[in-house]
Amino acid sequence: MFAGVNSSQPVQNTTHKVVIPFYAYAAVSLFAACFLMLISAGSFTGHYFNPHVLAITHIMALGWGTMIILGAGYQLIPVLIEKSLYSIKLAYWSFFLAAAGIPFLAYGFYYFDMGWPAKWGGRLILIAVLLFVINLAKSIQKSKKGNVHAWFMLAASGWLFITAFYGLVLVYNFTFPIYERNPVDLIPLHAHTGIVGWFLLLVIGVGSKLIPMFMISKYTNNKLLWLIFLLINTALLLFILLYIFNVGSAIFLLPVSMILISLMLFASYCYKSYKQRIRKQVDGQMKISLLSVLMMLVPVAVIFLLIGFFVSGKENLRVVLLYGFVIFFGWITAIIFGMTFKTLPFIIWNKVYGKIAGLGKTPNPKELYSEKLFKVMSLSYLSGFVTFIAGILTIERVVLTIGASLLLTAAFLYCVNTGKVLLHQNPFQNDERNNQ
Amino acid sequence: MTNVITNNNLKCTIALAALQNVIDPEIGISVVDLGLIYQIDFSEADKKVFVRMTLTTQFCPMGESLTGAVKRAIEQTFTGEEIFVELTFDPPWNHERISEEGKQFLNR
Repeated sequence: MFAGVNSSQPVQNTTHKVVIPFYAYAAVSLFAACFLMLISAGSFTGHYFNPHVLAITHIMALGWGTMIILGAGYQLIPVLIEKSLYSIKLAYWSFFLAAAGIPFLAYGFYYFDMGWPAKWGGRLILIAVLLFVINLAKSIQKSKKGNVHAWFMLAASGWLFITAFYGLVLVYNFTFPIYERNPVDLIPLHAHTGIVGWFLLLVIGVGSKLIPMFMISKYTNNKLLWLIFLLINTALLLFILLYIFNVGSAIFLLPVSMILISLMLFASYCYKSYKQRIRKQVDGQMKISLLSVLMMLVPVAVIFLLIGFFVSGKENLRVVLLYGFVIFFGWITAIIFGMTFKTLPFIIWNKVYGKIAGLGKTPNPKELYSEKLFKVMSLSYLSGFVTFIAGILTIERVVLTIGASLLLTAAFLYCVNTGKVLLHQNPFQNDERNNQ
Repeated sequence: MTNVITNNNLKCTIALAALQNVIDPEIGISVVDLGLIYQIDFSEADKKVFVRMTLTTQFCPMGESLTGAVKRAIEQTFTGEEIFVELTFDPPWNHERISEEGKQFLNR
């Protein structure tokens, strides 16, 4: 007989109350970004450095991508590092500060008011990010040493802090010039610490744990993950040094090639996990998540094209716009679409049915959202994505407007389906109350 | 029942039948077929049931629901007995613990 405890031992997972606001905020942000894109479609026919494009990019990067990753991150940190989250209070504060800061920053960009709205927006976001970094670092301190997923998350959060800090410096640079260089020249550093340092490291760190877990795969390869980790961080540091010391364009092929190799290694990791899976059925959400791994290769192909233009002395503004668009509306949005309906229904199921599971039949978490709506959303999203790319390349406002309308429709359907999950209640609860 | 340790085969069969209704919501098979149940012991004198179980991954977000569901399902079957559920990760779960029925379901 064992020395049991008079109930199940507590598994310290993060409460749904912290996680849900992040998901709701992200859904509204996606809708807002697509709406602004529809009413500002004309902005995508010109230079990428314009107020409307900057506002949309930051709503997508912060309101959509970062907010949902922070929310999902708080839920997944215990799974990844096998320890509880250090502080729930810090998690709440990071939400409040980021949620307040993002609209100010977006307003500042949209009307190009680099005064108090953009500055306060940037400051609040920076503090929110700092709280996330502290919370993560303190949580990891308690975990096993040498957990590769924990290192991916920690490095990613460090890069996010650098991105947010440098972003705030750039905002100040408009009113108190710090750099002599043209502001447009400073964007690639800010953009790539965010895209590669934050998004890419985080997606690989989390994806390398979740993809095999959801497919019940026998495949593990921590050595390969460490190699990917080193390649990405070295490539990013090299890129920063080359940029600061203003070395010729062709040498940028070196860090870009390192990123390409790391992406191909990650794609092979996912493929081997897929081949060695025990669970043969792969649902729509996993399919779209696996597709997004392949979509990572598209921006790399575009950046090779960009370097080609720079080397030949021509700057192609269309390709720069395309590069940003395929990252935020392609890769990041696809992975979030897939993972939202893979994680959120379980969080809500746990909230609604966790205390009554085992007493009778409960719905499957997949029944909490509409599969039909998900399919229509996916179709609208893919067609909008392709149409908008055609609009960017042809500089046709009508094509851009059609593409933005389809993306807005997808965003609306995403909000409806997310709302359906978030507002789900136990259908038998009212019957029980009436019977009492 | 081959990989579940017990001190009472008959009662264990009844308990496992009850636990067949506790389904892992992500994977879609019962905690029994998934191989999460390691041990079920019965103390006739004290009217106590001891269940030792695991999760597919430590800090599984569904962990609290699953252990709670196991406790409630056994409580419903052995009314009047006190149920103790202990969570262990020694040894950790691995896919070889999945039953043949579970593997067939996952192979569909």
